[in-house]
Amino acid sequence: MRIWRNLGLLAPLALAGCSVHDLRLFFPAGPMADVEFHYTWLMVVTMLIVIVPTLVMTIVFPLRYHHSRNAKYTPNWDFSAVIEVLAWGIPLAIVLPLCYMTIKAVNALDPWNPPALAGQGSGGAPVNVEVVATDWQWVFIYPDQKIATIDELVVPAGRRVNLTMTATSNMNGFYIPQVAPMVDAMPAMQSKDAFIIDKPGQFTGFSTDFSGAGFSWMQFQTKAVTDAGFAAWVQGVQAGAPALDYPTFTAKIAPAQVNYGAKISEFTLADPKLFDEVMAAAMMGKVYPVPPALDDSVNLAAATPAGQ
Amino acid sequence: MQPDLQGPWSPLLGRLSLAAIPYDNPILVGTFLVVSVVALALVGAVFYFGKLGYLWRNWLTTVDHKKIGVMYIILGLVMLLRGFFDGVMMRTQQLLADGPDSAGYMGAAHGYLPPHHFDQIYTAHGTLMLFFAATPLVAGFGNIIIPLQLGARDMAFPYLNAVSFWLTFAAAMLCMVSLFVGEFSNATWVGLMPLSEMSSNPGVGVDYWMWAFQISSLGTTFNSINMIATIVKMRAPGLTWFRLTPYCWSSLATNIIGLTAFPVVTVALTLLGFDRYFGTHFFTAGYGGNFMLYINLFWIWGHPEVYFLMLPAFGLFSEIVPTFSNKTLFGYPTMVAASFSIAGIGWVVWAHHFFTMGMGPNLNGYFSAATMIVGIPTGVKAFNWLFTMYRGKITFTSPMLWAMTGIVLLLIGGLTGMMLSASVVDYTVHDSLFVVAHFHCMVLVIGSALFAATIYWWPKVFGFKLDEKNAQIFFWVFVIASLLVFVPMFELGLAGVTRRLDYIYNAALKPLLWVTEVGIILYFVSLYYFVKMLVVSLLRREPAAADSWGTGRSLEWLTHTPVPFYNFAVTPEIHSREEAAWRRDRGLDTARPTEYVDIHMPSNTGVPFVLGVLSFVWGFALIWRIDWLVEITTLAMVVTVILRAFDKNEGYVIPAAQIARYEAKIATASVVADVADEAPAGALEV
Repeated sequence: MRIWRNLGLLAPLALAGCSVHDLRLFFPAGPMADVEFHYTWLMVVTMLIVIVPTLVMTIVFPLRYHHSRNAKYTPNWDFSAVIEVLAWGIPLAIVLPLCYMTIKAVNALDPWNPPALAGQGSGGAPVNVEVVATDWQWVFIYPDQKIATIDELVVPAGRRVNLTMTATSNMNGFYIPQVAPMVDAMPAMQSKDAFIIDKPGQFTGFSTDFSGAGFSWMQFQTKAVTDAGFAAWVQGVQAGAPALDYPTFTAKIAPAQVNYGAKISEFTLADPKLFDEVMAAAMMGKVYPVPPALDDSVNLAAATPAGQ
Repeated sequence: MQPDLQGPWSPLLGRLSLAAIPYDNPILVGTFLVVSVVALALVGAVFYFGKLGYLWRNWLTTVDHKKIGVMYIILGLVMLLRGFFDGVMMRTQQLLADGPDSAGYMGAAHGYLPPHHFDQIYTAHGTLMLFFAATPLVAGFGNIIIPLQLGARDMAFPYLNAVSFWLTFAAAMLCMVSLFVGEFSNATWVGLMPLSEMSSNPGVGVDYWMWAFQISSLGTTFNSINMIATIVKMRAPGLTWFRLTPYCWSSLATNIIGLTAFPVVTVALTLLGFDRYFGTHFFTAGYGGNFMLYINLFWIWGHPEVYFLMLPAFGLFSEIVPTFSNKTLFGYPTMVAASFSIAGIGWVVWAHHFFTMGMGPNLNGYFSAATMIVGIPTGVKAFNWLFTMYRGKITFTSPMLWAMTGIVLLLIGGLTGMMLSASVVDYTVHDSLFVVAHFHCMVLVIGSALFAATIYWWPKVFGFKLDEKNAQIFFWVFVIASLLVFVPMFELGLAGVTRRLDYIYNAALKPLLWVTEVGIILYFVSLYYFVKMLVVSLLRREPAAADSWGTGRSLEWLTHTPVPFYNFAVTPEIHSREEAAWRRDRGLDTARPTEYVDIHMPSNTGVPFVLGVLSFVWGFALIWRIDWLVEITTLAMVVTVILRAFDKNEGYVIPAAQIARYEAKIATASVVADVADEAPAGALEV
């Protein structure tokens, strides 16, 4: 599967002065990203079978039949059944296998229970994480470990991670390149994602779906650690971190406090139903007003509400 | 009555107050100064040269499809320029902003634009480029070319045609006003929900976006009705369906999309209006609202809209490639079939814009496969253009260079588009700069077609050719600039960089941003050569022949250059799919009619212009919630339309003798523009 990676190294020829390793999508770090990367290259190569000859024709025909060349000239030749059958048939012959590949791949990556993860990893117990996308931070709740973090996702390498996601007020896209497929986190709704990271390492995740003024700061650090490292980290947080209940949560994620630089915070989970409360609040129309300084260039939404 | 409304509101001025004017923002003040100086210079010139009457009689009240087309194109080019500056500002911000700890300029946390300003700029960039640059340019060429290729006097509904234009113009002006009064939407050109709701966007920005979009899409819907009626009903005798030019076929396919898709977005925006003005909850997150509904409705319009812009571009290539290959179009019947396949399949692929929204594998699989199938007819088009060149006699004029570039871009855009259509790939690059680079490749296909068409049909409209040397320099600089801007964007996408970021967190990618910036500077150089091309040609004004390129194939190359206001002295009889080539082969192309008959022409009318002004004021009043003004303008529009319905004027007749005089004058005069100016505006009524 990873033979494609070598091909990937050839691709960024025009990369002006950047390291190839910055092209993160060429370096999958787990089974989900492996599947994505594998099919990406398989499809590109399949398509090149028809794209490359067509490109060659686009360059050769105009040069060959330039008026100065006195090449064969058939001004009234306007139809050839053979060419037309090929013109429809060749794209069809390329598209059908592509359709087959994409349907196969998308089934393997079904975010609610990806078959791509079956039998992969070290086989340890899965880690469940509840993800809340706020304006504009990521809150990760570990219901089994009774801890929570902001902008920091620590997981054991080799073990499956199951994510259940929602958002407080706006739509966000949850994404860790090299690791997890992109899935949207949406208010009043629940979505799922899952992944395994093969080896310990660090990956930056972020939001991909624009959600307002602080969107560009929505990075979070994903740390894959060893099993022992994970247990130690959990214990450390459980022992020393402040408690997070729903009122603390709402204060902590108010949009007034854009988390410049995505600074990390850690908590013990005082409220096991925090995720459900966030969902319920969104369903009941809870809004988190954005301070005018961040969102409004001309102070229209100044202090005095209408009619008061 | 207006729930959720924050900030002051007064019965007289609504939400409007001095605070709405961003006089403290140096960028906007500078823009305002430039725009006002240019506007004052234009208005001053009109008065100084005493051209107000001319402007009113010949342009503002015109129903002539060619003049409306020219106005559409001018509007499109001006908005293209503004959209370009928005793009420049976005990429420059990304280049300057190094992250939270870097220095900011002009009060910004980093870079030189605070987030709300940056977000407005890219929202405006998308909105302007699609609705007010691409759409008017496409509509403009349709207006100019289609009646000529059909041998018609004008569009089926000349008055409605002018209404369409002035509605589009009013909407574009609303976008311009948002620069200096209030703000524009910061919730992306697609209007992300629930971000565009009052809860997240309490200001007037989203209202500006919503009403400008609403008014312009109304104009586009009217235009589609008009185009379909024209193509179906206004064909000259002998012009059977399978003698229709490929451009008319693709326009028919396009406008069927326009007529069926635009009402969807009208409904979606109306429901959003209910949310924002009456406090309903169609698209909110809470209270049972469903923002996924909006996203579906938007893209049910939005994806057909992509083909709405793309198919006319394909049609333009199908006219230009045969002309400069001096050979008939290859595979005409399958070209027509391909246009309609694209239009049809384009309707059932919309969900590929949100593969990541949590749809199950069956839905994602279906929409992936459906999207890929669009690649088949698109491939057919590319092959047929290539086999049109095959065994031709090709000349590399600038329109042909643009057409060839368009095919190459279509292949690259097609490859990346097929990648994105596979949801498995989309899971990795959705909403990334890879997507941005892909669709810019595709809009550059449209851009190539429009630049090609501008140069190709320019002599037909204005009577002289554009300067070929500067046209070619413009072409090469523009193509190199595009490569420098968009190749790094593909790479940034593969590096996992998301779109709509006001800074890019990975500082190691800075070199790629620099390459993009160099490309943008080259775009400025290409702009210089574009303007130089116009100026040089305008000063020279060498009269062009009726068949300006010598190898024109379709009907419009048979009438005079520039086209007189009545288009054809005598309605032509059609014998072939490529009438000009057919007559040239038989030595009939220069034959002139010996007998003339009376021509029935539509009268000019000021009603469309008045409706445009009223809809602008109406939109402005709605945005600022000035209730009394909304009521007055609504009433005024209804009354205007009713009064117009009682107008018994059915146009006027140019007597045969008059036509003979015009034709004699054209045959002897070297410059014929003055004939067009003699157009009696509503004189000689029936």
